[in-house]
Amino acid sequence: MPGPDNRRNDRTAGAAGKRLRPLAPWRRLSQALFLLIFFFLFIKTDYTGTDRLEYAVNILFRIDPLLAACVMLAVKGLVALMLPALLVVGLTLVLGRFFCGWVCPMGALIDLCHPLLRPRKRRTDTLYPALPYLLLIFVLAGAFFGLPVAGYIDPFSILVRGLAIALYPAFNQAATGFFTFTYLEAPGFVNVVTEPVYSFLRATILPFDQKYYTLVMLSAAVLLAVFVLELVQRRFFCRNLCPLGGLIGLTAAAGFFRGYGGNDDCKACRACRKVCRMGAIDEKRRLAMTRCVLCMDCRDKCPRGLIGFRFSPPSRRPAPVSLSRRAVMAALGGAALLPLFSGVRSMARVPDPFLIRPPGSLPEPEFLGRCVRCGECMKVCIGNALHPSFLESGLEGMFAPRLIPRIGYCEFNCTLCGQVCPTGAIRELALPDKHTCKIGHAFFDTDRCLPYAKGIPCIVCEEHCPTPEKAIRFREAVVENDRGETVTVRQPYVVDALCIGCGICENRCPLPDGAAVYVTAAGEARNPEHALPAADTGLYPPP
Amino acid sequence: MNRREFLRDVLLWSAGLSLAAPRFTVSTVLAAPDPSPLVAVGTGADYVKLTAAVFEGLGGMGKFVRHGDRVVVKPNIGWDRAPDQAANTHPLVVRAVIDQALAAGASSVQVFDRPCNDPRRSYKNSGIEDMVRSIRDRRVRIEHLDERKFVPVDIARGKAVSRLEIYRDALEADCYINVPVAKHHGLSRLTLGLKNSMGVLGGNRGRMHHDLGQKLADLATVLRPALNIIDATRILLRNGPQGGSLADVKTIDTIIASADPVAADAWATTLFGLEPGDIESTVAAHAMGLGEMNIDAMQLRTVTA
Repeated sequence: MPGPDNRRNDRTAGAAGKRLRPLAPWRRLSQALFLLIFFFLFIKTDYTGTDRLEYAVNILFRIDPLLAACVMLAVKGLVALMLPALLVVGLTLVLGRFFCGWVCPMGALIDLCHPLLRPRKRRTDTLYPALPYLLLIFVLAGAFFGLPVAGYIDPFSILVRGLAIALYPAFNQAATGFFTFTYLEAPGFVNVVTEPVYSFLRATILPFDQKYYTLVMLSAAVLLAVFVLELVQRRFFCRNLCPLGGLIGLTAAAGFFRGYGGNDDCKACRACRKVCRMGAIDEKRRLAMTRCVLCMDCRDKCPRGLIGFRFSPPSRRPAPVSLSRRAVMAALGGAALLPLFSGVRSMARVPDPFLIRPPGSLPEPEFLGRCVRCGECMKVCIGNALHPSFLESGLEGMFAPRLIPRIGYCEFNCTLCGQVCPTGAIRELALPDKHTCKIGHAFFDTDRCLPYAKGIPCIVCEEHCPTPEKAIRFREAVVENDRGETVTVRQPYVVDALCIGCGICENRCPLPDGAAVYVTAAGEARNPEHALPAADTGLYPPP
Repeated sequence: MNRREFLRDVLLWSAGLSLAAPRFTVSTVLAAPDPSPLVAVGTGADYVKLTAAVFEGLGGMGKFVRHGDRVVVKPNIGWDRAPDQAANTHPLVVRAVIDQALAAGASSVQVFDRPCNDPRRSYKNSGIEDMVRSIRDRRVRIEHLDERKFVPVDIARGKAVSRLEIYRDALEADCYINVPVAKHHGLSRLTLGLKNSMGVLGGNRGRMHHDLGQKLADLATVLRPALNIIDATRILLRNGPQGGSLADVKTIDTIIASADPVAADAWATTLFGLEPGDIESTVAAHAMGLGEMNIDAMQLRTVTA
């Protein structure tokens, strides 16, 4: 078996070498390992019995150089949370685009599904080779000019969001449905098997409870599209769309790790070119390091063992990418000009009153600038309170988290969303700060609230109100009920200075449809313009 | 009707496929309540010893738990609050009840509740989950409720409610032990033993709050604990039922126990400076013949530990 030195000699000598000991199995092992770590951290993005999360579950987003660049361009400063991305940049300079081939969980899943999604027609050349770079320019420039769209296209945002919002809850429902059926319908001897299996699944991979989200179909569709596109071309997303891959590819081209391919002496069988999943090998059997993800297939398949990788001085660098000037200007101009329009939308003047952001969220423009739409906060939210927003904050704000109290409330003693946010869009709050962080304000709909509208006693909102001094209190009132009787009831009201907008009142209101108490973004601490009227009177303590 | 037929009927009925609604047959012909119920009241700062002493006052746990019984211990784990905040049953009291049940020969002891806050946080921060796990006995399990196990139950004698979804394990236990904490509540004034039974109800419990006292009494016609132990080691005087401020908590180191749920509630009411007649559920349950609320009619055993 020839060692690396022999290989060099073979190549320079033009002698027919042998096939090399394959490296692709190691790549697959690495992919499997990182995929397992990814799923482990995904499942651990949850309350596990301690107020602090045990693992850095958001690490994938913090090593993403694209998101790091976008967040720092958006805030125009250094964001310490995102500095681990430098690790990927540094390693890419040394090892090329290994991340895409050996680490990326999206890439691993795509490769895993490849046998099911083989393209009918083999297309060797990348269909839209310039697109990742144009998207990269658009996304980076957009981040700088105030059009935060990285989360739309970043592979990890698409992946984690699709899993958290759609696939994982649907998987749980299917599993629970199956085991409910066996529990209710199957004979005892089946249950002897199924019930322990169900208990095991519950304790390991299934979530604690069923969650429900907004934008489930859309989140799923975006993720599944990445896989459906695999029918068009192998690693379609990575080659034709992924701006992170583009950024890593440019970094790799600037680095000093090179692949060498077939030369004039090779028999030009082009097995390497046919097998390349990234279209990184041209007709002359040269490897483009902007594209090569070091999957090792060409190296392993080369019948003469001619292909390999080595460190090489920067001078041999070819021009990495060719982009048309017009397309670049369009991407840059679009990113620079679109914010002019977004600034004159109605929501720039009057934000959606029901757009409640998680506790610790930064003021809206910086919040959206930092938010990478990863879905981590929605995954970890113990009360199922956080949901991807739709168009409430504009097209570019889609998938950013909002609190919908009727679906789930913000748990008083929980600070998990701030802990998982990879970019600091949601600041991590200490528990005493969380207890007083006002995210919105509750209002009663007295036309519907039972003690007001029907003279029926009800105190569910007050009972659940979590502030140690109740933010919901009662006034006794004598009212006539539906039967014409004069009754004394306790009618609830909100104490402005104490309500933090957690939404448990709206969530637990026993009315069957909409609640008779509802929370708006009024009074939210992050926006002084939302201050309640009483704030000026001294009744409301300043933030 | 065996279990399988019953469950199939539940499924068909809930799917609207059958006109014959299944019934979880709960005998409403309960043993006539003791006209002079025994109520044991103990005070002491060591809650494990105190709980044991209160059982002695009732004649020993052996009177309630027979050898081989499947026991359910139902504490109040309603809120994501720490033990000293007095919103949940004290973990040491839960521990002592389990120890006693095991000593009396229970074949299994299940501990559960349906919290108002997040279940995991409530189990954990109430201190009850860790305390139960520290017992390290295979017979003892603390578990979260399994949605599949709620069954519709006809409340034949109900005046305000005719059907409730109740947790099977609570109904099927050989010995159901109710271990509430005594505390203030905005609507029912206090929450005691009868209110604690709401923790085995499924569905939208908010609807219980209209005519709550009568509905709790109705529930007590089908869910009758063998034993009620009211934890008043520290009581929440204001801002109940979840509190949050230690200024609202008063430590009185007291535990009340009785086989009669109404009598236990009635006696515990007096700790708050109220009369048994002030609590609607006590009055309603007494009126239905479910127990004694007249303090003078009870046999009181006072113990100290």
